[in-house]
Amino acid sequence: MEERVLPEEIESLSFQEDKDLLVDVHDVSIKFRMPTEKIDNLKEFAIKFLKRQIKYDDFWAVKNVSLQVRRGESLALIGRNGAGKSTLLRMIAGILEPNEGYIETKGNMVPLLKLGAGFDMNATGRENVFLNGAMLGFSRKEMTEKYDSIVEFSELQKFMNVPLKNYSQGMLSRLGFSIAVDVHPDILLVDEILGVGDIPFQKKCSNKIHELKDEGATFIVVSHSMSAIKDLCNKAIWLKEGSVVMNGTTDDVVAAYLKECNTL
Amino acid sequence: MTERVNRMAQNIIAKRQIKANALQFKKSVVIMWAMVKKNIKNQYRRSVLGILWTVLNPLLTMLVMAFVFANIFGRGNINMDYPVYILSGTIVFGLMRTATVTALPCMVNNHDLLTKTRVPYFVFPASNVVSSLVNFGFSLIALIAVMLIRLPHGVEFHWTLVMILAWLPAIFLFSLGLSLVLCSVYVRFRDIKHLYNVFLTLWYYITPVFYSITQLEDPTVQKVLVINPMLHYLEYFRSLILGVVPSWQTHVLIYAIGIVTMLLGWLVFKTQRKSFIIYI
Repeated sequence: MEERVLPEEIESLSFQEDKDLLVDVHDVSIKFRMPTEKIDNLKEFAIKFLKRQIKYDDFWAVKNVSLQVRRGESLALIGRNGAGKSTLLRMIAGILEPNEGYIETKGNMVPLLKLGAGFDMNATGRENVFLNGAMLGFSRKEMTEKYDSIVEFSELQKFMNVPLKNYSQGMLSRLGFSIAVDVHPDILLVDEILGVGDIPFQKKCSNKIHELKDEGATFIVVSHSMSAIKDLCNKAIWLKEGSVVMNGTTDDVVAAYLKECNTL
Repeated sequence: MTERVNRMAQNIIAKRQIKANALQFKKSVVIMWAMVKKNIKNQYRRSVLGILWTVLNPLLTMLVMAFVFANIFGRGNINMDYPVYILSGTIVFGLMRTATVTALPCMVNNHDLLTKTRVPYFVFPASNVVSSLVNFGFSLIALIAVMLIRLPHGVEFHWTLVMILAWLPAIFLFSLGLSLVLCSVYVRFRDIKHLYNVFLTLWYYITPVFYSITQLEDPTVQKVLVINPMLHYLEYFRSLILGVVPSWQTHVLIYAIGIVTMLLGWLVFKTQRKSFIIYI
């Protein structure tokens, strides 16, 4: 008999799955194998390999972390340098694969881990808008529609035909930010790039991010700026040496984290 | 009932997977195309003649070699117009060389994209090979120009030139397979760059770019040189210029080489995939 999906059965299916659960990180761990000395040429590798002298140290950057993010929520990851925040974010983004556990994500996700990743310094600003857009998966036609609003937001109208190597650092980040926020994803993964450029532009960035949030975007943020986190996120997770120390509302977690920082 | 629902759940998940894969594929194509355009533009940026150099480059190389080998060393028993012979050799070998040399460091050069965005890895070597294919297209213009100039010297145009389209996928697969191996190894061992450059010089001289394999008197040397894949790609290409349709065995051979190299490359690339992000 032909397999047909009846409407009531679809309904019973959707009952089983939680549609608003956008990110489900389940007991995830990742380890890096660190050779005790760096070997990057064949001769050395062959000799050491034959002598069985290649030794590795296991380093667990993230250990047994679970978290869930639902639609409309925003999560902050806080902790000291090297606590595994960025590694966790990159696993959620799908750039790194966990050694243990699994991560499920739903919806359209855009990782903003570095502004202007893949910028071509020899090309002009205009060419780079299209190139960077392509990296985010937008065709030339789609980018043509976005182009004007991107340039307007970046306030770099005069410089669009100048090669990027002649841009200042601030101009580069402004262009990168403008391209990045012009996409309207369900989930945005942000690593320390909430505000760039001078003070007026930072304000503009902050407004834009709130605008995205009001549109229903979900944020997962890594930041050391406690005020920005309190402003944007309703939930926070404190990581220490790869493990979760505390998981709760932003105010509670930030307070506890600051308390520990002050005792150091 | 529950079994049925489960089966349907799997069905829906599979469908969602297909949809996600299709989206990913579309994204890969968009990225690849953007990178190919970037490569072509950057090649001759800030040069006065710009893209014209893609045509001029093989032409000038051909002139130098035609001068050196026709006037200084003598050209031997080649039954083809000599400038056309050399130019066809140069552009075919150049297609493979440009593809592999540019693809070799591509993983390391795109460090930022690899570690900070979700671009499928395959796009990097593939875009370099496609760029070199586009360059080859420009070189064909040079070849046709030279053939036109040599018309009074007995060069003829044959319909078989259209069969270049049948030949192109085979050499594309071969170059891509080789590029996949090279770029994967380069991530772990940067030595491969120097080794490969030396190897390319050897490869260039054992490929009959400017001489004919029948010129070599020792039959054992001839037999050894037959294992060179580029020899077969080049001979196929040249027979098209001469108006000869290659035998079906030749077709099988060039496609077999291409597909086997591609599978090997894919295998190496796939097994090394996870180590890229750690070692670049």
